[in-house]
Amino acid sequence: MSQTAQGELGLRPMKQLEKKGGSKRRYSPLAIIYSSALTLFYTVLFIIPFGTAIWLAFQNWDYLTKPRFVGLRNFIKAFSDKYFWQALKTTVMFSVVEICLGVALALLLALMLSQMRGKWQNLFLSLYYLPVITPGVVTIYLWRWLYNPTGGAFNTALALFGIPGQPFLASPNQALWCITAMIIWANVGGAAVILLAGINDIPTSVFEAAKLDGAGFWMTFFRITMPMIRPVLVYQLVVSVIGTVQMFEPFFLMGGPGFSTRTLSLYTYQLGFQSLNLGYGAAVSIVIFVLLLFATVFQLQRWQVNWEY
Amino acid sequence: METQVTPVNRSSAFRKAITSGRWIEWLIGFILALFSAAMFYPFLWLIFSSFKEGADIVRIPVSLLPQKWTLSAYRMVLDPNRANLPQAYMNSLVVTTANVLTVLFTSSLGGFVFARLNFPGRKILFYFILSTTMVPFLTLLIPLYIVMKYMGLLNSLWALWVPSIFSSFGIFLCRQFVYGIPQDLYDAAKMDGAGDFAIYREIILNLTKPVLSALAIFNFLGTFNAYLWPLVVLNEESKLTLPLILSRLANRFGGMDYQGVMAGSVLVSIPPLIVFLIFQRNFVKGIALTGMKG
Repeated sequence: MSQTAQGELGLRPMKQLEKKGGSKRRYSPLAIIYSSALTLFYTVLFIIPFGTAIWLAFQNWDYLTKPRFVGLRNFIKAFSDKYFWQALKTTVMFSVVEICLGVALALLLALMLSQMRGKWQNLFLSLYYLPVITPGVVTIYLWRWLYNPTGGAFNTALALFGIPGQPFLASPNQALWCITAMIIWANVGGAAVILLAGINDIPTSVFEAAKLDGAGFWMTFFRITMPMIRPVLVYQLVVSVIGTVQMFEPFFLMGGPGFSTRTLSLYTYQLGFQSLNLGYGAAVSIVIFVLLLFATVFQLQRWQVNWEY
Repeated sequence: METQVTPVNRSSAFRKAITSGRWIEWLIGFILALFSAAMFYPFLWLIFSSFKEGADIVRIPVSLLPQKWTLSAYRMVLDPNRANLPQAYMNSLVVTTANVLTVLFTSSLGGFVFARLNFPGRKILFYFILSTTMVPFLTLLIPLYIVMKYMGLLNSLWALWVPSIFSSFGIFLCRQFVYGIPQDLYDAAKMDGAGDFAIYREIILNLTKPVLSALAIFNFLGTFNAYLWPLVVLNEESKLTLPLILSRLANRFGGMDYQGVMAGSVLVSIPPLIVFLIFQRNFVKGIALTGMKG
């Protein structure tokens, strides 16, 4: 933290360099080579693709025939396309539930972990972190097996309590929440580590002062711990939203029946690479971009955190 | 340099403030242990199922442990005629190694260039790189595929390497870190007549090691576990990476031979696990380092 906190914006170090160097413009050849390579890279692999995405959103293209300009028709189509609305609804429902439950659980874990001694913290953290490092595909096939209606671990466990077997991924009502549960399991450790780092970073003096003033557990928690870790919490929320909305593999590889678990990310992929409706796919992906942009700006405004890099 | 956050090595102040009686610590420890068990339980299924036989894995009533321990599932997925797992292992390791080394080099050099060197457009370029992180990968997916097609890189491992030569996140992270290194160090070396690249190689590279190891781990996991981009650009079986070959395995063996999928999953999980175990300490440190923005 200390190093990163020192690195502020502004160009203070450069100004110093200019003063010492005497001459006003003293460009480093290394920097010029590096920045040229960087510019080339971002032109080919960011500016051109991003421009193409925007351009494509106003075209009709199937890879084979020539692209045809259709104006705003792709966007108009999206807003009258019931599959688009369904995908949007699925994405929003899934993301909200995943993020709320996931971050709440991670916060609870981090608070409990902060009460443990260093070596126990380390041990538990490693265990919670295992699902985070496990390749997503492995997690998906493992959980598909656990959710198996006949002979899967979950129905076997339910049977112990006399609860009848559930269809899980085979049911249009349960599939989305089964996937959500899996994703929370896979990600909660990562969020807990970051939140714990935030809690452990609060200086001792603050708590000592609170103790002297006679603050109890709840007082300390709500008036000190929570406000002090707010920046970390907001960071975690923002990162979670960006990651969750773009999640792809779980819906691609363990999707429920029909369109019950088709999110915007899967819809974009299908439009672009399966039904070869590139223009429309690009339009949907632009909608995702705008949604994420608004969500991020909204969160940062709402929670009043300076997104100062 | 020694003042980094190491949450694992010192107990939190919050802990001292709250935990007065030992029994609370035991109670919380017990809850956390229960939770660990729940977190770990699926892995037990994964490991034990991979040692089962075909008939064993679909047998009712279900048992966690195999009736008879066997390596037949492993033999099945390692047989080149049935599954191309060894080839995919090579592909994944080559791509991951190349990506990690490239990103470490371009990020540390970029951090130095943006933090200490003077060149035209430095400020604009930096803000531009930061702003690219706001565009989701999904938006770039279709056009990036078209760019790869024009470059003739489809269905080759180059398509996995080229888009990750530079990392916005890595450059940003290293730049913040290099700012923390005293300017005097740079000036002194400059005074001694060292060139910029020599300063980077001899001083900056050494001092940015903590942040580079964190970046290496993130990048390793990101590249090794990547699914969507390889799925889009690769299709020939001999070019596939491990996550892709695993989903082909699942389609092939999915119904009756699920133990094959489980054995494949265990094999696919081993490299990230090794990296995690080796760098575990840096890992938590690195997450603290990168996660504390806000």
